[in-house]
Amino acid sequence: MRPVRAGRFAAGLGALLVLALAAGVLAGPAFLRPGEVLGALLGRGDPAAIAIVWSLRLPRAALGLLVGGVLAVSGASLQVLVRNPLADPYLLGLSGGAGLGAVLAIAAGVASPWALPAAAFCGALLAMAAVYRLAVVAGGALDGRVLVLAGVVVGSFAGALVGGILSVTEAQGARSAMLWLMGGLGGAGWVAVAALAAYSLPALAVLFAEARGLDLLALGEEPAQHLGADVARTKRRVYVAASLLAAAAVAAAGIVGFVGLVVPHAVRMMRGHDHRGLLPAAFAAGGALLVLADAAARTAFAPVELPVGVVTALIGVPVFAFLLRRWTARSSS
Amino acid sequence: MARVRSFARRLLNSPVPVVALVACAGQAPAGDAARVDDWGRTLALAAPARRIVSLSPSTTEIVFALGLGGRLVGRTTWCDYPAAARAVPDVGNGMEPNVEAVAARRPDLVLLYASPANRPAADRLASLGIAVAGLTLDRAVDVRRAARLIGALAGASRAADSLVAAFDSSLSAARAFAAPGAAGPRLRLYVHVWADPPVTVGRGSYLDEILRFAGADNVFGDLAASSATVSLESVVSRDPDGIVVLAGDTSAGPPDLSARAAWRAVRAVREGRYLVLDGSLYGRPSPRVPLAVRDLSGRLLRLAAR
Repeated sequence: MRPVRAGRFAAGLGALLVLALAAGVLAGPAFLRPGEVLGALLGRGDPAAIAIVWSLRLPRAALGLLVGGVLAVSGASLQVLVRNPLADPYLLGLSGGAGLGAVLAIAAGVASPWALPAAAFCGALLAMAAVYRLAVVAGGALDGRVLVLAGVVVGSFAGALVGGILSVTEAQGARSAMLWLMGGLGGAGWVAVAALAAYSLPALAVLFAEARGLDLLALGEEPAQHLGADVARTKRRVYVAASLLAAAAVAAAGIVGFVGLVVPHAVRMMRGHDHRGLLPAAFAAGGALLVLADAAARTAFAPVELPVGVVTALIGVPVFAFLLRRWTARSSS
Repeated sequence: MARVRSFARRLLNSPVPVVALVACAGQAPAGDAARVDDWGRTLALAAPARRIVSLSPSTTEIVFALGLGGRLVGRTTWCDYPAAARAVPDVGNGMEPNVEAVAARRPDLVLLYASPANRPAADRLASLGIAVAGLTLDRAVDVRRAARLIGALAGASRAADSLVAAFDSSLSAARAFAAPGAAGPRLRLYVHVWADPPVTVGRGSYLDEILRFAGADNVFGDLAASSATVSLESVVSRDPDGIVVLAGDTSAGPPDLSARAAWRAVRAVREGRYLVLDGSLYGRPSPRVPLAVRDLSGRLLRLAAR
């Protein structure tokens, strides 16, 4: 499949993003007419509608945009770093670490709304540090294969601890911790949006700045070295920034599968491998996918809410299969 | 290893109490000592049960209410009522119980919740020659059937009959007390189970039933499931009059839902209209159903007046 022309691609992506955000604000289990939503946006009309739009739908759409974007950028970078198309933001032990943190907080009986996300974030950071340490000790200069193995090992260890804790603590709270961890944007508030935005901007900036380094790294380490890239520095920066992004996304919305794995591939197929274009496009596409999926998760079986990860996969897999078919058909002809 | 083997031998050689587990296919049960449990299995004890292990807080309450508390030789960690239950040895969890810990109590009757997950444990206990009754205790009405079966297996049918009669009359009295009349419209309540994601209960739950008995409605009573994850937006748009919370310790006060920005969109949260209910009384069907209904109707009147 020939990469789509940059201008047309950007316009399409922009339209998708606008459509997703509109769906995020217009759709929901409380049936508000578009006119009511517009009025509420301007602060007019029924106070209940204003509360629904301003304190529920808007922060949810904003958080979905950020989390989806951050996951896609993190996944795109990690796939290059570990040279593995199956890499996703949680691969390097992060989901296990976050789960352990969340379950420990519940087991310790901490009830504040900030406790779960904070504990999950700390758990993810601990796992990240452990993986980094293992990879440095074993592989010297952050070998991609060693990173993946260290991630799997640390993740399994954390998973075993979670299993052990769950079986000896009271079931209800621990089950709810797992429920939270399964991911969703239900707890979104403006403070969470602001915290994630403030936190992820520097990490995103680091990755965008390393776009050229990622291009070279994608060619392989030796060619990258010959072309004058400081491979070790790029790898270190990409690893830390991508993992910090994923940890922050976990703290904001639990573990949302699929976005960080497949959106980068889909964008690569359409847009090519140039990371200066790819990373921002992945951010927009990931954000749009998550906001759309969340709107569907809220409305499909309202008032019951589906886990958003279920919907991201249900929407994403057919799209991805379609792209994959076109891509393989074109590249083999 | 030797210790394990000697334990196994002791277990096998133990004079299995006077129990004969008989499957009577189609055969009329002899006397009232033969009954069918909620798995549809026919239980026949050669003699009334003397050593009972109760693997759910509901059955523990029923055993005590039948005046058979003295025959309990094992209970779950969660059996907290009546106070005397605390003195009974704890055999751990009631869901997927520890078979060895239960068998070590040498029971002649084990009562457990009839869930698919409990079936393997029930079969293993039965293979040790112990009578096992699976009981589904999900709704108020289940208390009557469970009391009758336990009474029959323990030779206390008379006590069971009078327990059921008292249960019926006090439940209808409690419901009559709660019947809406001059009290105004029925209160619509949201049951808070978990905040993020919002988990509540539906029509299939025991708490939903108790709310209705006491003259209130569950705002998610249209959901058939016993529990469900719902979107916060639908909680806002259903605008409950109050938030019901079950707590192990009611003195701890209501959960701080208003600390979560999104929850403040719910009027009842902003206005702090909580009903904190004792989990032991409201969390499970038991002979105390009428008490729960009466207690709740009083609280509803106070909430409506607030």
